[in-house]
Amino acid sequence: MPEIYSLSSEHEVADFIKNCNSEEVPIEITGHNSKSIGRLIQCSKSLHLKNLSGIIEYFPEELYIKVKAGTPLALVEIELDKKNQELSFEPPDMGFLYTGQSNKGSVGGAVACNLSGSRRFRAGALRDHILGFRGINGKGEIVKSGGTVVKNVTGYDVSKLITGSYGTLVALTEIVLKVQPKNEESQTLLVNNINLKKALNIFSKSMQTSVEISGACFYPAKMSKFFKLNDLDTTTSITAIRLEGPKISVVERINTLKKLFDEYKKTISVLENYQSRIFWKNTTDLQFFNNSKNIVAKIILPPVNTDQFINKFENEELKYVIDWAGNLIWAEIPENDSVLLRQLRTEVTKLAGHMTIIKAPNHMRIKEDFLTTVDENIKVLSLKIKESFDPKKILNPGKMYSGI
Amino acid sequence: MPKIDQSVLNDKESIVRDLKKFTNSINIISDPEGITPYETDALSAYKQKPMAVVLPENTAEVSDILKYCHKNNIKVVPRGSGTGLSGGALPLADCVLLGLSKFNKILEIDFENRCVVTQPGVTNLSLTKAVEHNGFYYAPDPSSQIACSIGGNIAENSGGVHSLKYGTTTNNVLGVEIVLMDGTIMRFGGKKLESEGYDLLGLITGSEGLLGVLTEVTVKILKKPQSVKALLLGFQSVEDSGQCVSDIISGGIIPAGMEIMDKPLIKATDNYAKAGYPKDVEAILIVELDGTESEVNILIKRVEEIAKKNKSTYLRISKNDEERLRFWLGRKAAFPAIGDMSPDYLCMDGTIPRKKLAEVLKEITKLSQKHGLRVANCFHAGDGNLHPLIMFDSNVKSELKRAEKFGADILKYCVKVGGVLTGEHGVGIEKRDLMCEMFNDEDIQQQLNIKQAFDEKSLLNPGKVYPILHRCAEGGKMHVHKGDTKFKDIPRF
Ligand SMILES: Cc1cc2nc3c(=O)[nH]c(=O)nc-3n(C[C@H](O)[C@H](O)[C@H](O)COP(=O)(O)OP(=O)(O)OC[C@H]3O[C@@H](n4cnc5c(N)ncnc54)[C@H](O)[C@@H]3O)c2cc1C
Ligand SMILES: Cc1cc2nc3c(=O)[nH]c(=O)nc-3n(C[C@H](O)[C@H](O)[C@H](O)COP(=O)(O)OP(=O)(O)OC[C@H]3O[C@@H](n4cnc5c(N)ncnc54)[C@H](O)[C@@H]3O)c2cc1C
Repeated sequence: MPEIYSLSSEHEVADFIKNCNSEEVPIEITGHNSKSIGRLIQCSKSLHLKNLSGIIEYFPEELYIKVKAGTPLALVEIELDKKNQELSFEPPDMGFLYTGQSNKGSVGGAVACNLSGSRRFRAGALRDHILGFRGINGKGEIVKSGGTVVKNVTGYDVSKLITGSYGTLVALTEIVLKVQPKNEESQTLLVNNINLKKALNIFSKSMQTSVEISGACFYPAKMSKFFKLNDLDTTTSITAIRLEGPKISVVERINTLKKLFDEYKKTISVLENYQSRIFWKNTTDLQFFNNSKNIVAKIILPPVNTDQFINKFENEELKYVIDWAGNLIWAEIPENDSVLLRQLRTEVTKLAGHMTIIKAPNHMRIKEDFLTTVDENIKVLSLKIKESFDPKKILNPGKMYSGI
Repeated sequence: MPKIDQSVLNDKESIVRDLKKFTNSINIISDPEGITPYETDALSAYKQKPMAVVLPENTAEVSDILKYCHKNNIKVVPRGSGTGLSGGALPLADCVLLGLSKFNKILEIDFENRCVVTQPGVTNLSLTKAVEHNGFYYAPDPSSQIACSIGGNIAENSGGVHSLKYGTTTNNVLGVEIVLMDGTIMRFGGKKLESEGYDLLGLITGSEGLLGVLTEVTVKILKKPQSVKALLLGFQSVEDSGQCVSDIISGGIIPAGMEIMDKPLIKATDNYAKAGYPKDVEAILIVELDGTESEVNILIKRVEEIAKKNKSTYLRISKNDEERLRFWLGRKAAFPAIGDMSPDYLCMDGTIPRKKLAEVLKEITKLSQKHGLRVANCFHAGDGNLHPLIMFDSNVKSELKRAEKFGADILKYCVKVGGVLTGEHGVGIEKRDLMCEMFNDEDIQQQLNIKQAFDEKSLLNPGKVYPILHRCAEGGKMHVHKGDTKFKDIPRF
């Protein structure tokens, strides 16, 4: 077991890392232990940033919130909710996936993993909502970038680079996130019992109208059963499209879509506000893979290739849900089926996509790559970037790629 | 600026000869007359002729040229359309200026995936033109959109009037092909929503041509909203207009665009463009809303109420597109109008927290008295991007110097109230020496280390953006003399 250091101030973290740097001691960085994501790393020291917590400032009319990195996401969401605002990239609650219980983790952890929910294709990813950060690089230096304003081109956009770096570049201490007004109304248009190809076609067609959909997902029949919503027919596949905004506009747009998809009118229904919100929360939080014991992967493809990809694995033991209007496949495969895992990898690369393993048993996290990057040039450049922050490679070493 | 490498200059002839191996010889310009058009970008206060200009035609040529320059320690400055306002494409005496103007084809329009793959030299507006027959458009709309290249937009992370709601360039780019200084060709992102690993696409966007040369670009396109309407509001004080903006946003409304103009600017533009703005107000606010018809109507009502609560003394709602465009007419004429009023002006580009607007404007008025120069202000109120226009006369000794000092004082104040040095024009050469107002040595060193990872010899666009440490001085100026500006036909926001 590693020695655990729970620090609660930026300068303590800086001093700690500075020491580790001079002694060349690798450190594992954790927030709330909500996401056992990435390659497993073995460090003698573990730096816990849970206590580096608290909202520093929140100005609703300026549309930003500045927090210490260990602040619970859940707390942030409660504060925003009081002012009728939200994080519009819908951070997923990964706790359900890992332990079957809600645990959204810390803001730092969310930024480090750049995970975004169902609204991603409309509202952008977390990386589109970070305005600035402070953190400690591998030399123990405090570095910062960005600010609190939306329009800012002063220097490199280092905040983006930090987002999704899984704690391998800096230990984040402070984060500024853009916030947005909450949507007044959410409604979901449902089409039952159609195949994926038709669903993708519905997504594509809706996106080519000015209706502004903000969610589009597909549950095959074997996956739809997990829902327990009164107004949802869970005996067949579900194709769902979300509309948000002022109520009258949502109703109007739902009607436009109904007309557009008149051919399906026998199986079309609508989830009203309350159930609609639950539906998308369950989807974003991956509750269909609740506490999974298997391998869970996030597969990103150009949406035109999604059907072809799924078809290829139709007869395999692949459970999946499609989100982000066809851009994202959440897939679950049996823990010991390394043949299937390899096939998925090959196919995803062939179809111009990539795959990130979000959950895997520990023995796999030691030897398997959790990303599919094949481009050697990208790996070389990534290594150089890693070294530009952390020359001795002591921050979460090997978490992303072996050696990085 | 970096020291001139005399040995490179001495070798000019053989370098030019060598370059001909990599591209058609008509793509290489080295005679003094031929290179003159490339001696400056739109920050025309700075001029420098490059050693040679190369206009490659494809990625392989770019790669070969860069590989050659890398090997022979020759500096390279990339250039799109040269509309940059911070001197980012300003040549160095011993550099090869790499112009991307021949990369001017749209490669693929993919409505199914709602994206366009294009070469970087294509102009921003032609992207929209290429997809509008199907009701689509490319969202970021810098006011230079008819001239600026999409490659330049990515290098500068350009924004426009609509960036509050639709984001800046960085939120609308899906992928790039890029050539590093050593000739390595790479792809970040693509026709899909995310890449894995470090967000290299995010880092490249806004890197001002310092990290690599963009040779292909994939951008997201959006469907045009059903309906667009605007309100033209007048207030008796700037505070009221600023408060109105805050209340609109805290009221849960994100307009497509929000612009404030102060009294000196209203007066100037009214003389110039006859936009019909109210004359008896201290500030006007334009609020543009888009969405479905009923949504826009609801929002207009809400904004109307908020405006009344904030003591607006003038209120008009556009009845049709023609009237809406008339509201924008004066705002679009702001820069030339000032050019008409004063022989010279400097345009600043700071961003501030919206709530500080009144305070910053008061400070600007004070500074105006201190430096003895007039100033007018327009403000992308939605996202806090402030453009003070400092008027002076370069024929009067010391006025340029005073104007520059005034400009630097404004930007410093922007940083002091929690804002930043530049919202959309970039740092380039212009604000380089002010970077220390925002960043300390460690921050800057970290960014220089990132640069090293991409370009270890620091040959690509050196001397831009980052000050040589411990040499922070004053700067910050887009100088316009007698309206004699580059790209003067383009409306400026
Ligand atoms: C004693 C101990 C035992 C462990 N045992 C296991 C085990 O058996 N199996 C297993 O899979 N994992 C184990 N871990 C690892 C740990 O659960 C994962 O590393 C987890 O991803 C840590 O992140 P988190 O969920 O706490 O934070 P989250 O907030 O969810 O963070 C997830 C990611 O963000 C990074 N991160 C979090 N906060 C910051 C920050 N402020 N700055 C920069 N990066 C940040 C993390 O490094 C990680 O990459 C163990 C860790 C410890 C200390
Ligand atoms: C009248 C006017 C109005 C303007 N309004 C706005 C506005 O509203 N919003 C805004 O953001 N900007 C505005 N600008 C500034 C300017 O138009 C933008 O910065 C634009 O993005 C620059 O594009 P360009 O092709 O002209 O680039 P250039 O000026 O040629 O180059 C700008 C920078 O990008 C680099 N670069 C260019 N092409 C490439 C490439 N292919 N690969 C790598 N690096 C490259 C250059 O090295 C340089 O550092 C305005 C300018 C003018 C003249």
